Amino acid sequence: MIGQTIAAALGTVAFSVLFGVPRKYYGYCGLVGGAGWCLYSILTVYTACTAVEATFFAAFLVVLLSRFLAVWEKCPATVFLTAGVFPLVPGTGIYWTAYYLVTDRPAEAADNGFAAVKAAFAIVLGIVLVFEVPDSFFKMKNK
Amino acid sequence: MVNEELKQDDSEYEEREQDDSKVLETALAAGHILLENGAEIARVEETMERICRHFGVESGNFFVLSNGIFATGSRKPDSPGGQYAKVQHIPVKGAQLDKVVAVNQLSREVAEGRYSLEQVQEKLEQIRRMPRKSFPVQILASGLGSACFCYLFGGSLADSLVAFAAGFLLYVFVLMVRESRISKITKNICGGALVTFLCILSYGLGLGDNLSHMVIGSIIPLVPGVAFTNGIRDIADGDYISGAVRLLDAILVFLCIAIGVGVTFIVYHRVFGGILL
Repeated sequence: MIGQTIAAALGTVAFSVLFGVPRKYYGYCGLVGGAGWCLYSILTVYTACTAVEATFFAAFLVVLLSRFLAVWEKCPATVFLTAGVFPLVPGTGIYWTAYYLVTDRPAEAADNGFAAVKAAFAIVLGIVLVFEVPDSFFKMKNK
Repeated sequence: MVNEELKQDDSEYEEREQDDSKVLETALAAGHILLENGAEIARVEETMERICRHFGVESGNFFVLSNGIFATGSRKPDSPGGQYAKVQHIPVKGAQLDKVVAVNQLSREVAEGRYSLEQVQEKLEQIRRMPRKSFPVQILASGLGSACFCYLFGGSLADSLVAFAAGFLLYVFVLMVRESRISKITKNICGGALVTFLCILSYGLGLGDNLSHMVIGSIIPLVPGVAFTNGIRDIADGDYISGAVRLLDAILVFLCIAIGVGVTFIVYHRVFGGILL
């Protein structure tokens, strides 16, 4: 799990390079991505959380960290958020959906596709909820 | 006497008038950079309004969509003539978040009153010219990202190495077609197909342990992260049109990747027969 968390952090940094994030924020991006994945794997392995619930909590954490860093560094939260949620994006689900579709197994394809959509909605919910919190909350905590 | 006073007023007024259109021009330039490089609609509108207000233009009105800005303004709502109006079409391009950060910083400093209008224009021009990361760096980042995500989704080290190569070559392809006029749909289908082909090839040559993990890792650089997160945020902000367009963009890209992967598997299956994997 430690290896995977490091991979998540490194992968997040790689994508923040692709999105043109300023160099000084690479470390923060890695931290956000790693933390999100770490929470996700802890929840799925050690608790009764389903993958979708774990995705929601992990996305929640990712957005929360992004907003803290945004206030702290006085820059848009998008910078940390965009690459940070990447480990949670259901790439696996998309792949298996396509795979089962072309191998003529519609039931499995539907299951995987539905799971991918649910995971995507979990991320959406995480992002929307945390952005409802007013900026002042994050400022207070910093003082 | 009265006439003269009026005249004076008029000339001063004209000067202001010009200034105002310059202010709006500058605000529009800032909005252009923000929108083009993946900022949320609310941020674009707020930045433009902030610049206008700081330089004394009260009646600037902006309507921002995901691919265009409509701006009108005048010194006073009821001032005669001298209305400023402009529509700017801004095609969706690859995001470069460092430009968003730079404009955001600039607008903060403008609000603190650190710059004159000319300085702001100059700064915006500098930001507009900020270079992208060099091609080798982008390609390496794509390879590294692919390898990391392959490992993350359960691939072995050998899988990750193949994913590195596939992600590396994928981005060579992406950069080659970036400036071309090929549609986004075709680009992403080809990208997905290319990655799958490369992974099947290396798997056939005995490199890598698990085909699925290799493909999953290597398609990640195609995933439209900026469009996806921005679409969600725009919808959360109530900018439904832009949010819906951006989400549609993201979903379309997801679908195209899946089609590319699927088609390659079908072709492989037809040509070589046998069971997949």
